[in-house]
Amino acid sequence: MSRPRRDPRAERASRQVASAAGEAARPRYDRTARRGAGRPRRDPRAEHERRRLAGGSRPRYDLGQVAPPEGVPSTEARPRPAAETASKILVLEAPAFLVAAVPDAAGGRLSAHDRQVLGAARALAGREGGVAVLTLGPCEGCGGAGADRLIQIEGQAEVYDPAGRAARIAAALAALAPRHVLFPESLDGGDLARRVAVRMGAPLFGNAEVVAAGGLIRPARGRRVEQRAAPGLLATVAPDAVADYAGPPREARPLAVEADGMAGRDTRPAPILAATRVPADPATVPLALAEFVTAAGNGLHDLDTFRQLVAALRATPGASRVLCDAGLMPRHAQVGASGTVLAATCYFALGISGAPQHLQGVAGCEHVVAVNTDLHAAMIERAGLAIVQDAQAVMPALLRLLAQEAGGRGGVS
Amino acid sequence: MRIAVLLSAGRHPVSGTPVLPRLEAQAVRLAAGLGEAVGLHAGPDAAAVADALGQGLGRIEHLHLAEGADPVPALAARLGTLAPDLVLAGRRGQGGPESGMVPYALAEALNLPLIPDVVAGSAGEGTLRLDQSLGRGALRRLVVRGPVVVTVHPDAPAPLAYAYGRARRGTVEAVTPAPAAASVPEIAVEERPYRRRPKLVKGAPAGGSAAERLKAATGESGAVASGRVLVEPDPEDAAREILAYLRQIGVLAPPAAPGDR
Repeated sequence: MSRPRRDPRAERASRQVASAAGEAARPRYDRTARRGAGRPRRDPRAEHERRRLAGGSRPRYDLGQVAPPEGVPSTEARPRPAAETASKILVLEAPAFLVAAVPDAAGGRLSAHDRQVLGAARALAGREGGVAVLTLGPCEGCGGAGADRLIQIEGQAEVYDPAGRAARIAAALAALAPRHVLFPESLDGGDLARRVAVRMGAPLFGNAEVVAAGGLIRPARGRRVEQRAAPGLLATVAPDAVADYAGPPREARPLAVEADGMAGRDTRPAPILAATRVPADPATVPLALAEFVTAAGNGLHDLDTFRQLVAALRATPGASRVLCDAGLMPRHAQVGASGTVLAATCYFALGISGAPQHLQGVAGCEHVVAVNTDLHAAMIERAGLAIVQDAQAVMPALLRLLAQEAGGRGGVS
Repeated sequence: MRIAVLLSAGRHPVSGTPVLPRLEAQAVRLAAGLGEAVGLHAGPDAAAVADALGQGLGRIEHLHLAEGADPVPALAARLGTLAPDLVLAGRRGQGGPESGMVPYALAEALNLPLIPDVVAGSAGEGTLRLDQSLGRGALRRLVVRGPVVVTVHPDAPAPLAYAYGRARRGTVEAVTPAPAAASVPEIAVEERPYRRRPKLVKGAPAGGSAAERLKAATGESGAVASGRVLVEPDPEDAAREILAYLRQIGVLAPPAAPGDR
């Protein structure tokens, strides 16, 4: 029971590589050749590389317990739904049932909240169901937001007649017979949903924070309890609670609905005698509500020009902390963590570098325009349109251009 | 002008003690500027709404109902008797299911028009001028022929200060409600303690890393990150670019065409 004695010298001599003829070089050995006995040597780097998945911008590795076979690198790409299949439009020929969504669609455009409602409707519809969008007047971008069908109800969107609008929507819903109907819980949408609910005599599940086929959840009794119920006919969706639809675009095929428009026509005299829209005055509207904020920072020293520019742009004035501390701008104009957190559509920063506390106040803004001398300022990085230039020089140019446009009009008339 | 203000037994959002909801206190203030007002509360207990006496109401009628009963039939019957020119309510009553349906169901039961989200009102000759909030400070000025049901928006003027003497002088009257059946079928719900859910972060990728989510939360990614940078342009060019960008996103009105007026 003894194994043969090894002879290391002979083993080494057998692996020696024959060198160039007659050269008195140092001996060379081939150590890659497998020895007869023993397990093969592992190569951890190569093993790790074999686990790499093809495709994608970041390297991704399949770290499952089952190692891939040696010498076969994985070639099939992981399915990337967002980028690669973006061009293909998903068509649903015969949906098993319909989930209706009634967006606000102010100005014929879906708002962020409307998209979330469509995402929620898509979640309720699942694979077999279809999402139908009901709008008064035209509405663009429904297919990308996840709509399979688009139903346009004729009627003037400009005239303020909420009861008539609710009657038309209710008539269309009665003709369409969807399984669920979702509304946004916004000023207009919440009002419309309740009018429709009263008209149809159906209960409304309001302000749902979770929307899934398994159940809807809403807060109740001052957010002390939450109530869960199976999805009913009518529900409203809370803002920022449900994710948008993220799949490939759908077709949003126009669908005609034979609604009995005269069914809910009121015979009483119209209670609303006059309705006029009063737009917000940008000079006096609170900063937190403002639509378009133009703010000054420490890069400005001529605040008179700044005020002229704010008035010419019809924006609400804001300022950074430095200017407010110095008393150059009122404290209620301060933007940032210790001032006002904005919910504006557009923020125009003049001479603001963008301290982290200031950027917190701007985080909710959709578009940012920045003018600053420092190319590496945080505000320049944040901005959708960044101008590396002295704001003090850009302001008069803007004023001149605006005056030129206004003057051109005044000169002709 | 006779006004009825609907009051609900709200709970303080932090301490949970019974308190008059702020919106209804604002409704009381609106009513105080328009005429004589009476408060209406339907529920098991009127202790919470008694605060409204100190906020400017002289009299509250309490319709005693069992816990969880539908208040709409009782309120509709009482409002039918009172026949007020204006019914004011918050956007949604607090303390109950908070569905916001009560004003709408009442308007339907009384066959009155409903005007939502009102921030100010004044009386004319047989008409009411109401300012309706459209959000972001914009208003719609309505002239309506009464009587109407009106809900109040949070942007309405702040409530009057609580006055102890007024609260002592005011009275809460118990009124026996007319028995009635529920009007709208209820939804069967299952209740559990409220759980806060994470707010959606706009533009966050679904399967992204923590760094990507952080970037989305601080607004450093998405469409914004792929912004255009103009380095040292001529100020005139910069101004032109800025105006074009502002018009493209729709915050600045396009220049009026020559000969527009």
